Amino acid sequence: MAANFWTSSQCKQLLDPEEVDVVHQIDRERGITLEDFKLIKLHMSNYIAKLAQNVKVRQRVVASAITYMRRVYVRRPITEYDPRLVAPACLYLASKAEESTVQARLLVFYIKKLYSDDKYRYEIKDILEMEMKILEALNYYLVVFHPYRSLSQLLQDVGMTDATQLTWGIVNDTYKTDLILVHPPHLIALACIYIASVLKEKENTGWFEELRVDMNVVKNIAMEMLDFYDSHKMITDERVSAAMMKLNR
Amino acid sequence: MSSDVDTKKVADRYLKREVLGEGTYGVVYKAIDTQTGQVVAIKKIRIGKQKEGVNFTALREIKLLKELKDPNIIELIDAFPHKGNLHLVFEFMETDLEAVIRDRNIFLSPADIKSYIQMTLKGLAFCHRKWVLHRDMKPNNLLIGPRGQLKLADFGLARIFGSPDRRFTHQVFARWYRAPELLFGAKQYGPGVDVWAAACIFAELLLRRPFLQGNSDIDQLGKIFAAFGTPKQSQWPDMVYLPDYVEYQYVPGQPLRTLFPMASDDALDLLSKMFNYDPKARISAQQALEHRYFSSGPPPTEPASLPRPPPKKESSNSRVSDLNPQDGPTVLSPPRKSRRVMPNREGFEGNDYFADKMEVQDHDIRQAADERSGHADMSLDFSVFGMRPPARPTINSADRTHLKRKLDLEFQPEEE
Repeated sequence: MAANFWTSSQCKQLLDPEEVDVVHQIDRERGITLEDFKLIKLHMSNYIAKLAQNVKVRQRVVASAITYMRRVYVRRPITEYDPRLVAPACLYLASKAEESTVQARLLVFYIKKLYSDDKYRYEIKDILEMEMKILEALNYYLVVFHPYRSLSQLLQDVGMTDATQLTWGIVNDTYKTDLILVHPPHLIALACIYIASVLKEKENTGWFEELRVDMNVVKNIAMEMLDFYDSHKMITDERVSAAMMKLNR
Repeated sequence: MSSDVDTKKVADRYLKREVLGEGTYGVVYKAIDTQTGQVVAIKKIRIGKQKEGVNFTALREIKLLKELKDPNIIELIDAFPHKGNLHLVFEFMETDLEAVIRDRNIFLSPADIKSYIQMTLKGLAFCHRKWVLHRDMKPNNLLIGPRGQLKLADFGLARIFGSPDRRFTHQVFARWYRAPELLFGAKQYGPGVDVWAAACIFAELLLRRPFLQGNSDIDQLGKIFAAFGTPKQSQWPDMVYLPDYVEYQYVPGQPLRTLFPMASDDALDLLSKMFNYDPKARISAQQALEHRYFSSGPPPTEPASLPRPPPKKESSNSRVSDLNPQDGPTVLSPPRKSRRVMPNREGFEGNDYFADKMEVQDHDIRQAADERSGHADMSLDFSVFGMRPPARPTINSADRTHLKRKLDLEFQPEEE
């Protein structure tokens, strides 16, 4: 697949960070700041991952679902498309698109199990309706390339297979940000290897330099991830719920 | 909400005309795009009653066709929800290759055959370059546009391959087009399955009837072996490891020359490479296109000059049952006929001779961009010997439900 990323719809749709970090007018009027916006998307990425763990789907499905969710909010206001519905609906759609279908009622069952809060309560009918709206918001583009595939190849090449779990974990964490909307997946994979190299104090400079990629981009992605890890320490449940509160009418 | 307004606008953009046919997951309409004047086919996917939202098969098709833009692949122009149903807008296609093959009024010259199979392989090579397996190659999924262009359609069984060790269902393709590895239950397979099916289509173009008409999976293998001989271990070393492998009694097979007396040497050489038993040794679609068959004479006919069934008259009643003998054989127009009188056409005259006795039917519903329904297959022609051709097996809706429910889903969790 990796060979085709360059001709894929995803490649053509990559966005500038400035295009991703836009809070819709309608949302701003509700007092949602860029910070809130990012927090809500982070919270929803976690929600999707948690749901996915319960219904047991492959990591790729989770990654696609989060990508769909993040793409939806580039185009649609978060106050009109309730993330507590969009998140499970994206997981539902991604499970179908990635050929590992999860039944909608199973999702509904686990939503109820995970959250007693009524605001999370949605029925099958709601998920199916939202599925259609998501398809529209995505302009029916469903194929997403992820860093996972290049990861194992690259790790083998650089001789760091012992760091597979660490890098895989970092790649998972990139989905807590909008990186997948902005950068080609193999560069994200490289950035995660770069971080792992630094953490493990492995000297890979030579290997990175021989790759015919723009190392500045790789380093920027790595920096963004490190920033994310730093700021993540400051995120409290209170801050998340304060942001989520602004969604309620 | 603003998006509802947009949706309404999109739906208004297309002027609905007659019903073209009924696919597995909904009705297909002919329509006019009022913005461009273009004729389109709109597939309406029923969603309302389904508990599982957008039909899985439809979703596959949308997902893949959004990534596959090629002159030899059906174009998904647009998609929009309307009144709770999802509508897919395809370019309008006049007919399909099955209608061409079965129309006894049509004479296919070697150059015509070359053109049709070349377009088939081009579409296939493009899919494979994009790591997509079609998995349902057969003449009635090869649609033909108003300027003769052949396009691969119906990606409802298609899927992305290339992930190492990923297992797929072997219950794909209509039986007559199923590669031997699938018939032996292979779950890890590749683009070779599409190439085998393309070879069957190539053979069908040469013979003007389906080549290997098995009436069960076992019988299908029997037919394959009767034609090419039971594969020896040396020809296909991995065969014995396939899940459903059973030993067949040895039969010698026949020379290709005997099976296809009219084909050129180059055609036979390509055919033998596409029909290679060992999927690893089978020629790829791209290599097939580079085969000397396509560079040696005669050059492939320009798509616009290819013979095709007469375009359907505009009729308000476009239901399936146009069993109308009066409309019967449309005589080939003189220019076409003269064009076809070529030195290398010997042996094919029979078609023209018999054509006068043949009854022809409109292949209305085949015009749909989608062609999938079981109903579609019951019309069609009489063979030269006055016998109806055997009913064409297709993946029937029961199979397909079974398929999508059970086989392809890698994970189907137990209920609560």
